[in-house]
Amino acid sequence: MSSTFNENMKEDLTGDIEELQEIYEEQGMSTLLREVNQEILTEDPEQFFIRLTKQDGTVLLQSELSNWQYLTTPDVLYDLLSNSEGDVHIARLTKENSEVFTAAGLIGPDLLIYLGETMEERDNLLNDLLGICVVILGFVLPLGAFSGWWMSRKAVSGIKEVSRAVDDLGNGRLDRRVIVHSHGDEITELANKFNEMAEQIRKLISEMREMTDNIAHDLRSPLGRIRAISESVLSSKHTIKDYEKAASDTLEECDRLLLMINMTLDVAEAEASVREPNSQEVNLSSLTEDACELYGPVAETKQIQLSTHLAPNCSIYGNKHNLQRMLANLIDNAVKYTPEHGEIIVELALHDSDAIVTVADTGIGVPDSDKDRIFDRFYRCDHSRTKDGCGLGLSFSRAVARAHGGDIKLRQKQSLSSVFEISLPMNR
Amino acid sequence: MMKILLIEDDQVIADLICKGMREAGYGIDHTDDGVTGLSHALSGCYDLAVVDLMLPKLDGLSIIDLVRRRKVNLPIIILSAKRSVDERISGLHHGGDDYLTKPFSFSELLARVEALLRRSSNVVEPTTIAYRDLEIDLLSRGVVRGGKKIDLQPKEFSLLEYLLRNQGHVVSKTMIMERVWDYHFDPGTNVVEARVSKLREKIDKGFDSPLIHTVRGLGYVLKEQH
Repeated sequence: MSSTFNENMKEDLTGDIEELQEIYEEQGMSTLLREVNQEILTEDPEQFFIRLTKQDGTVLLQSELSNWQYLTTPDVLYDLLSNSEGDVHIARLTKENSEVFTAAGLIGPDLLIYLGETMEERDNLLNDLLGICVVILGFVLPLGAFSGWWMSRKAVSGIKEVSRAVDDLGNGRLDRRVIVHSHGDEITELANKFNEMAEQIRKLISEMREMTDNIAHDLRSPLGRIRAISESVLSSKHTIKDYEKAASDTLEECDRLLLMINMTLDVAEAEASVREPNSQEVNLSSLTEDACELYGPVAETKQIQLSTHLAPNCSIYGNKHNLQRMLANLIDNAVKYTPEHGEIIVELALHDSDAIVTVADTGIGVPDSDKDRIFDRFYRCDHSRTKDGCGLGLSFSRAVARAHGGDIKLRQKQSLSSVFEISLPMNR
Repeated sequence: MMKILLIEDDQVIADLICKGMREAGYGIDHTDDGVTGLSHALSGCYDLAVVDLMLPKLDGLSIIDLVRRRKVNLPIIILSAKRSVDERISGLHHGGDDYLTKPFSFSELLARVEALLRRSSNVVEPTTIAYRDLEIDLLSRGVVRGGKKIDLQPKEFSLLEYLLRNQGHVVSKTMIMERVWDYHFDPGTNVVEARVSKLREKIDKGFDSPLIHTVRGLGYVLKEQH
């Protein structure tokens, strides 16, 4: 999400510079100055700056720069531009507490344009989800209005009922449904459709609430422990050893928190990348083999038999590091949840144009009641939430599989307790 | 004394690094803006630089670009708040030698600084690396200890090679995962411990003095302990 946003920002700035280069080449200096002046007059100087200088640093035109004391000087920019491959230099700088994208380019041999814009980080997962709900709601209202106009000839009372329901739903009464009378086909159909959608919204929002509760719970426990540690060493005199132990326990808790927060961001990032931006050819066979090889000794210490059946030379196009991590997650889970003397089987097979990876184990399995939920964020079968892990591994794996055009499923097979199956299309 | 240059605009982090590096016996100079940092980096007075990516006046990647273009041979560690592997790859592509994500543990940074200083001082690439009675041959990938041949899996060999290259110095779990497996995330439960103890079985079993040791909370080290 943020990376696409950054790319757009870079493209916009580069486009701005190229446009000014064109103006200068085709219409000369005076038009260029007029154009830059126009930019200065129309843009907000808090958010945007532009500066036109000569090689010796003489300023020809610049916007109000009192908020921009952190800019790169013209001589350094000339240096950067004179040897670089592209003719525009893009950089990110800090400005007080925000980030700035800047771009510099040579307009003529002795003319340097330098401009930039601030940006705000907006990578908030919950806002994304809320946004989706708002979009859906925003869709309901016009739909209600439109259908009201379109069918007003038919049955005003039915329409009124629907639009009242829309209002109620918009005001937060998520359990509101339209009472369906038989008014004629279109009205009934609309009412049914509306009810389906309202149900979908209710489900989304309640899932989101549950997720927020889980996050809060998972954040509270380590913070509570950190608080308790600090409080106990402050409450009375202790030896240096006690203080050292308190500090190292605090570190451990912080690391756990960080791991969870980073993982949350990683899941959001993987879900947002509908198409993998940095695709390369990845040898899935050797990636799977490496992952199995990595977890081999851990399985051995638990006397678990880890066997592999991998089709050779299977390659797909995608993000190597995310695929690595997806496989590692699944095998790690299998090792974690399989008791001693158990068995884990990892397979890679080709099926039509898909590569199918399965990780099967004779472990504790997934209870039926949890089957639909295990890929949700922060969902853990261990409802007391005491075991290690943060309930994000499977959501991450699913996000990665989907970002590669595939999916992940939990299957049942005899004699095995859980079989995770990932399908990844080979020709994308 | 080895001298380190730190270019970092966050005062708290900079203080922490300066204090820790001085305690570890390094000289360190700190600057908080990119332009001053660049001129320091080009001065040739430093053995290594630690550079934050987001800076006022001139960003970290541009600094690295200009240093590399001037053919200045300065090992550079990138610090960044950006977690994604793409950012890491782009940083290394620009000529950084190593990359660390904030927030980081100081011991992790120190281990990386030391490993990088050692790497850049070994100009000649050896074909064998030895420590006491243990020797590995990088070409035939053979391992011998006390005249006895030892068979290792390919990854075990890479792990032993990495420990030997850093003999006497602690390397962290994260460093091992990055260098030996190219994994840039935490692979979960005890993977590295299990790996190292398997290697230990092959290398140390039947010999009087064990060479591979665990340093709690920091990582692993190959050395003789008395």
